[in-house]
Amino acid sequence: MSLKPTIGIETHIELNTNTKMFCRCAVVDTDEPNISLCPTCIGLPGALPVPNKKAIEFITLLAISTGCEITSKGMFHRKNYFYPDLPKNYQISQFDLPVGLNGELEIVIDENKDYIQIERVHMEEDTGKSSHSGSGRIESATSTALDFNRSGVPLVEIVTKPVISSSKQAVAYIEELRQLSIDLNISEGRLEKGNLRFDANISVAHEDSNELGTKVEIKNMNSLRSLERAIDYEIQRQTKALEEGVEIVQETRHWDENKEVTSTMRSKEGSADYRYFSDPDLPNMFLSEEFIKEVETLMPLLPKAQREELMTTGLSLSQSNILCKSDDWIKKLYVKVFDQTKDSVASYNWITGELQGQMRKANIEVLPEWFNDDYLSEIIELIKGNKISFTSAKIILTEILTTESTPSKVAKQKNLFQENDSKKISEMINQIIQENQDIVDRIKSGEDKLVGFLVGQLMKQSNGSVNPGLAKELLLKELEG
Amino acid sequence: MSNEFNIKNIAKLASINLSEEEQDSLSNDLSIILEHVNALSDLKLNSQQQEIFIHPLEKELELQEDEVVESLTHDEAISNAPESKDGKFVVPPSME
Repeated sequence: MSLKPTIGIETHIELNTNTKMFCRCAVVDTDEPNISLCPTCIGLPGALPVPNKKAIEFITLLAISTGCEITSKGMFHRKNYFYPDLPKNYQISQFDLPVGLNGELEIVIDENKDYIQIERVHMEEDTGKSSHSGSGRIESATSTALDFNRSGVPLVEIVTKPVISSSKQAVAYIEELRQLSIDLNISEGRLEKGNLRFDANISVAHEDSNELGTKVEIKNMNSLRSLERAIDYEIQRQTKALEEGVEIVQETRHWDENKEVTSTMRSKEGSADYRYFSDPDLPNMFLSEEFIKEVETLMPLLPKAQREELMTTGLSLSQSNILCKSDDWIKKLYVKVFDQTKDSVASYNWITGELQGQMRKANIEVLPEWFNDDYLSEIIELIKGNKISFTSAKIILTEILTTESTPSKVAKQKNLFQENDSKKISEMINQIIQENQDIVDRIKSGEDKLVGFLVGQLMKQSNGSVNPGLAKELLLKELEG
Repeated sequence: MSNEFNIKNIAKLASINLSEEEQDSLSNDLSIILEHVNALSDLKLNSQQQEIFIHPLEKELELQEDEVVESLTHDEAISNAPESKDGKFVVPPSME
């Protein structure tokens, strides 16, 4: 029996506005509970919500950048449910008239592009945070404690069509969406802080079936690792059930990171169960052409266009993708170093490999103030000009990351400039040959491997300053002669 | 008409307890309401009129600037809570 999985993802992005979605309480990042509240975000009777203009600009930017049709005549709905993290007993959300509809996002896996269709992009508010006290197990909690600082923080929900077919695609989609929100400057995109949270709807059906299988929703993941493993687990669980003839129940499941399994949370509500109706407190929302044009002026170079631009320098699609998802300073450094050296491979390798590697190793998060962008170009040029060896270049980089200096200065101080003068090298070779006559004799009688020993002696005597390639070439010539 | 909905499920979604008697009487009431609402589907509307864009307020939505305004202090916010602990509101156990 051949089965195929189908996945749709709902992502919530917390916007980085100063204030909440429907009131002017500050969005705060603190463990101190309940310090940014007002009658609106704790649902006191009579409080009236007024939407945040910046949040509407941000969601419009996101909808435009994902190629969505913009709903110029939109409205807010109430999504009703009883759960204490929303004190109004409903969440202000959007239903049939979301800000964006029918978009698409380009994703990259290795050297291939793919496109994920987006069903809708809508605006809503976040909930408060609840914690449960009691014996430790959630089922036997004796009370629930609530912090409403997060209640009312603007949240954008992006829903894909059921078009994703693997956990790898799902991860690539979230990586792209995260980078997009960072580049649009609408979110910090920090997964560990819950800036992006995702639910995955997963179903498995027969390969030749035109209908999707029964879908199971896995709620509230905020790491790529959880997303990948939860999807893989769920596909396996459903496949096994179907193969054994067990019916899949439509439900919401929870991914347990420690046990690495999904487990039932509750049976899934249908959309009708939320009794959506238009929020009488919020008149209809018109996004004028003028407003949309104004928002478009804020549009930065998107990840897709960044990749295309980087590829024109000679990088592959996957290299361009890695760079476009790197920190801003890394992207800028690459552009500068490439501009100076015109060597895309060396620029890419030195920045994403050696530089970032050494920084991680030495626990350096930000480049030191004295570190000039030109230094990497200088190092690359010194290697290309055979003036320093690759090994010396690494030593130089380590030095300028920790001490205020320049590559040339370090090379000079540490005597790392390579000797390229054939005459001088030949003089040294003659001396080595004289001092190691027994080795020379053994080489001549067939022990070729010992040439390496003589090269080593030469490097030692010159304190590593001899160009090893040239030295070997001259040494062989001398031995043959 | 009452077979069109499950009164027990509606009571559960609304988080209210209904006696058998109340279930019967509310089922009746809801059936009448549904009948009235269903009458709407008999209206002959052109495509423009079908556009769902009805709102009790004719006013256009106004947006506000993203500028912080101080409101309740922590103590004020929590002062009406029947129970609180470590600065948090405490309610009966409730989980999804």
